[in-house]
Amino acid sequence: MEAIGALVLALQQFTTGEMLIHVVWATLLGILVGSLPGLTATMGVALLTTLTYTLERDAAILVLICMYVGAIYGGSRSAILLNIPGTPASAATSLDGFPLAQSGQAGYAMAIATAGSALGTLVGIMLLVLLAPLLAEAALSFGSFEFFWLAVFGIIISGQLTGGISPLKGYIAGLLGLMVAMIGSEGIHAHIRFSFGVQELNGGIGLIPAMVGAFGFAEVLDVMWRRSARVIDKRQDEDRILPKLIDIWRYRITIARSGIIGTMVGIIPGVGEDIGAWASYAAARRTSAERDRFGKGSLEGLTAAETGNSAVVPGALIPALTLAVPGSAPAAVLIAALFIHGIRPGPMIMIEQPEFLYSVAVMLLFATLAIAFFGLLLTRFFVMILKVPREIMMPLVFALCVIGPYALTQRTFEIWVMVGFGLAGFILRQMKYPMAPLVLGIILGDLLDKSLRRGLTLSDGDLTPFFTRPISASFILVILVSIAIGIPAVRREVSNILERFLKRQLNR
Amino acid sequence: MTDVMTLDSARADQWTGIGLFLLGASMLVGGFTMDRLEIRQIHPASIPGLVPMILGVVMMICAALLTLGARQQSVSTTGATQQFQGPVGSLKSLAFTAGYSVAYALILVGLLPFWFATAIYISVFYIHFSWQLDTSLPCRMKRVGLGVAFGIVGALAISTLFEHGFLVRLP
Repeated sequence: MEAIGALVLALQQFTTGEMLIHVVWATLLGILVGSLPGLTATMGVALLTTLTYTLERDAAILVLICMYVGAIYGGSRSAILLNIPGTPASAATSLDGFPLAQSGQAGYAMAIATAGSALGTLVGIMLLVLLAPLLAEAALSFGSFEFFWLAVFGIIISGQLTGGISPLKGYIAGLLGLMVAMIGSEGIHAHIRFSFGVQELNGGIGLIPAMVGAFGFAEVLDVMWRRSARVIDKRQDEDRILPKLIDIWRYRITIARSGIIGTMVGIIPGVGEDIGAWASYAAARRTSAERDRFGKGSLEGLTAAETGNSAVVPGALIPALTLAVPGSAPAAVLIAALFIHGIRPGPMIMIEQPEFLYSVAVMLLFATLAIAFFGLLLTRFFVMILKVPREIMMPLVFALCVIGPYALTQRTFEIWVMVGFGLAGFILRQMKYPMAPLVLGIILGDLLDKSLRRGLTLSDGDLTPFFTRPISASFILVILVSIAIGIPAVRREVSNILERFLKRQLNR
Repeated sequence: MTDVMTLDSARADQWTGIGLFLLGASMLVGGFTMDRLEIRQIHPASIPGLVPMILGVVMMICAALLTLGARQQSVSTTGATQQFQGPVGSLKSLAFTAGYSVAYALILVGLLPFWFATAIYISVFYIHFSWQLDTSLPCRMKRVGLGVAFGIVGALAISTLFEHGFLVRLP
């Protein structure tokens, strides 16, 4: 009851002309950013953070959340029309979206993607309201020992699931992020580490310049390097831009399942929307009656992918708000933005600012309504947007990458950091190192460092509490299992054992 | 088979592994030699160099695994037919974008007023990439005009937004 009251209050607070205008422009900008191949949600949120310094707290966070939701949704446009995911989150969308566009049903594919995204976010919002207070309460019993393992868990899981070919590269990216976080004044004794006499490094490397570089400049380089793609604009007479209710009803179970999977994937630190989409897609294919159509233009596959990636957004905000540990890369930037605007995410949030959680749920709801409205209304317009040449878009994006981080502290040093991270980020990506663990490393470095040393001080140098406290022991177990599964030989052996076990069960 | 080393090849991983191993070793040494703040009588378990040392050791292990894995991979693929498919994109475009963008960010900005540097950057960027689209003189002249106009409008819009909207003292 208390939650419903808080939600109604938040709803009243945000139903003002000014807030609705913010919802409109930020969501449209988000869809635009997501639509353009190469521009990701992380980059959009990072750049927009630099534009929200002067906004008041609630308006700023509303704008950033609308950008986040809009960009994840917008990625489906180019996935369907160009076969290039606008954001990595939409990679699974292109599997069925593009064949639908090729067969002249681009409009309907986008309509289904819109419905899936909106419903996925709604499922995620419900779980956010239900689970975040529980997680915050549980997190109150976390001490330094648990927070240390939580940080390790975030890096390992993120490296494991986003590494693609080799989890080892994911771990290395996470370690590089942690090393970057060691630069500057440390959090316990204020001792300055690895500054090499450079005064600007005393405060450490700023997250925003690093993220704008790794996700903005690196993406500009990537987009200009790749050959441009052609927009599929073939239309069948019967193509429509509104989803049929019967189709949505037919896939109701897929929507509910993908929404839950997406949210749960979002809760896992640093894993992100792409994994949410792939996991939902795989689950839908396993159980679908039309599984032979998956990859050839299946509406169910498209629905699962879009519902899954959009549900990650509210899911990723659950640990971001309650543990200050991001569930995805854009959520990492959002945490930085929360601090800039005077909100301290973490276990105390439900005690210090309990209403904020419900405000976030309402912000997500508004963003969802906006993507549903604009997504369906402006389908044809977004096809036109995709035809904007990259040589027009990219210099503008890079100019924003330069001035955005500078605006935060008005130091040209931030531009140097942005350029450095952009070049390094581009090279690392070409070498198949994922960026999400790197970002998570920068975010979690301070938590890991402080928690380990505080824990050791509390236990007088004794390591035992790190292994014997129940939550710590659970984290260690999950970390060990994750690392073991990442080793191909172990994975093969486990799947052999499972296969033998299933066969034996079937033979009985 | 080709000898070309791409950034995601086993050979590149071997070299990266060596580089990362050295990075880990430097981190370990850096952490070990870091001030232990004995003068402030801090708890020995909370010395600032502790986590850098641990990170250095873990990085050295990961780097060794990467190098060994890459070496095994390159041994197992030696003799097999490897088709080099070439880069996914144009190296010329990449070199221009990287070089020109870095020059704009680190040299032009600060040397010239921000709006002017940005106008030059946007205009030249657009003209460079649209130059080969149509080689006839009138079309090229049109693109130059468009590029200049686009650069000035874009630069003024960004500068005005930050200077007057967000009250930033531009570089």
